[in-house]
Amino acid sequence: MKILVAVKRVIDYNVKVRPKADGSDVDLANVKMAINPFCEIAVEEAVRLKEAGTATEIVAVSIGPKQAQEQIRTALALGADRGIHVETDARMEPLAVAKTLKALIEKESPDLIIMGKQSIDADNNQTGQMLGALTAMPQGTFASEVKVADGKVAVTREVDGGLQTVELNLPAIVTTDLRLNEPRYASLPNIMKAKKKPLDTTTPDELGVSTEARVNLLKVELPPERQAGIKVPDVDTLVDKLKNEAKVI
Amino acid sequence: MHFELTEEHRMLQDLVAKFVNQHLIPLEPQVLKREAIGGNPEPTPEEMQKLDEICRQAGLWGLDSPEEFGGADLPAMALVAVNEEVGRTAVPFHFPPDSPNLHMLRATVNEQQRKKYLEPYARGETISAIGISEPGAGSDPANMSTRAVKDGNEWVINGRKIWVSKMAEADFTILMAVTDPEKGRNGISAFLVDRDTSGFIVEREIPMIGGHRTYEIVIDNCRLPESQLLGERGRGFAPMQLRLSVRRLQMASWCIGMARRAVEMMCEHARQRVTFGAPLADRQTVQWWIADAETKIHACRLMCQHAAWKLDQGQDVRTEISMVKVFGTEMAQEVVDNAMQCFGAMGMTKEMPLQLLANRIRAMRIYDGPSEVHRWVIARRRLGL
Repeated sequence: MKILVAVKRVIDYNVKVRPKADGSDVDLANVKMAINPFCEIAVEEAVRLKEAGTATEIVAVSIGPKQAQEQIRTALALGADRGIHVETDARMEPLAVAKTLKALIEKESPDLIIMGKQSIDADNNQTGQMLGALTAMPQGTFASEVKVADGKVAVTREVDGGLQTVELNLPAIVTTDLRLNEPRYASLPNIMKAKKKPLDTTTPDELGVSTEARVNLLKVELPPERQAGIKVPDVDTLVDKLKNEAKVI
Repeated sequence: MHFELTEEHRMLQDLVAKFVNQHLIPLEPQVLKREAIGGNPEPTPEEMQKLDEICRQAGLWGLDSPEEFGGADLPAMALVAVNEEVGRTAVPFHFPPDSPNLHMLRATVNEQQRKKYLEPYARGETISAIGISEPGAGSDPANMSTRAVKDGNEWVINGRKIWVSKMAEADFTILMAVTDPEKGRNGISAFLVDRDTSGFIVEREIPMIGGHRTYEIVIDNCRLPESQLLGERGRGFAPMQLRLSVRRLQMASWCIGMARRAVEMMCEHARQRVTFGAPLADRQTVQWWIADAETKIHACRLMCQHAAWKLDQGQDVRTEISMVKVFGTEMAQEVVDNAMQCFGAMGMTKEMPLQLLANRIRAMRIYDGPSEVHRWVIARRRLGL
């Protein structure tokens, strides 16, 4: 079984994000970048399936600037077998990403596609679903458990009311939630081995995908600063304020 | 000329940073508690066993030992990045195996010593100490008075050593002694002394600031067979220096991490703490502390990377090593001290890691060569003395 895993280059989750001075976008200058945490969970799940003997090959894909190869190398160090880098400096919207992945799926014919449920930069949570619609593949989103057997994958989904388990025919798309697994460290020997694993590059153009934006980014700004709290003398004042000022009860 | 770590070394630095954040920094509260009541701040054997296991799984093992011993044999350049990350925590920690004497042993052992001492040491199965300083000879080892006299096929050693680390656990000690007093520094030889050798007496434990412990040793008619001579007679001094270059670069790299931690803490506090109607972050004094710290951290990192690069090229780095040892330790001392000042009374507590960092840095300005001796080395070269 062949697995395709999508990994995205995003701002490291430890970094405090700031907008550019002109508010045109998020400031990425001299900011530490890393693999999107949900994508890291996707890679880990694929590696576990390979270690269990279920999967035979893992292909890690990243779409983005030249430096996105660092995130592919991270995926290779975590256990992916080879990488594909779709190089573009365009601001890729979920639909363009889904179309690019669809073009790669047609070339690679994977049995399972694992990707993060969303990336922590724009938090769209759309690509997996769009890819499902474009490829007509079944999708199991927000996965907290994945079991592959007999040409099917059972995905336990974290939904509002609790857990829902769906069974999908392969090939299928799974998007990962936080509790699916805890990614391992990319160990030092594997970091060294990752350097020797194959990494192909292509472009959206070569894949026949348009990267044209459909959404205009008007402005990026910090959320309003939280007001300082106050102390109230008694419960009556508290109830009054909750009712009339905060209007929550 | 470029100023970037290789991709693998950047990934290694990320790996070490994760390890420090997830496994060492969470140990700090216990470490600080133990140190506050006069205990040993080092990770307990149980904590160390867990850390060892995680390090083995992550391949963070034998980072500077050669591949023949199962090590990663990383260049000095990569080790600067590794040690910078380790420096960010007040938890005293070395990646296993903790083998500061590895390079010296490798350069000096014969075939039989290699099997008996070097191999188990490189595998992390044994611990070693090194006895250099004496009550009357520290930075000036040529003044050493511990004497080794040949008696038939044996060496008879008499003298006293002080400030020896790890003596409580050491399976063997590298003991420096004068074999040929008329030859000055070319008359110093190294010997391997097993634990519990008759006449080799651990006299007392000396508590040091920063929770560290050293020992004083008395060597009283200690008889060693010829096979315990390490390396050639009279050639003990140069390999000992080899050990010190690597170690001093490591210390300066730790200092980058310690200063970074202090700046992180200071920035967080300065934004929150309001005095006389304004946050500390708005005060010029605090801003200058931060600006100067950032500038000096940057300078220290570049100096360390340059010295590491020269070391990796096999070039002579003695002057640069003296420079980074002085600059790194004094820079970190200043930055941590300003951070303590910024925190006010809170900075004086033993509940915060700053005081432990400060004490460790204070000690670092002395051991492996005090600042004054390193400055003297730099000036002597420049003056041609």
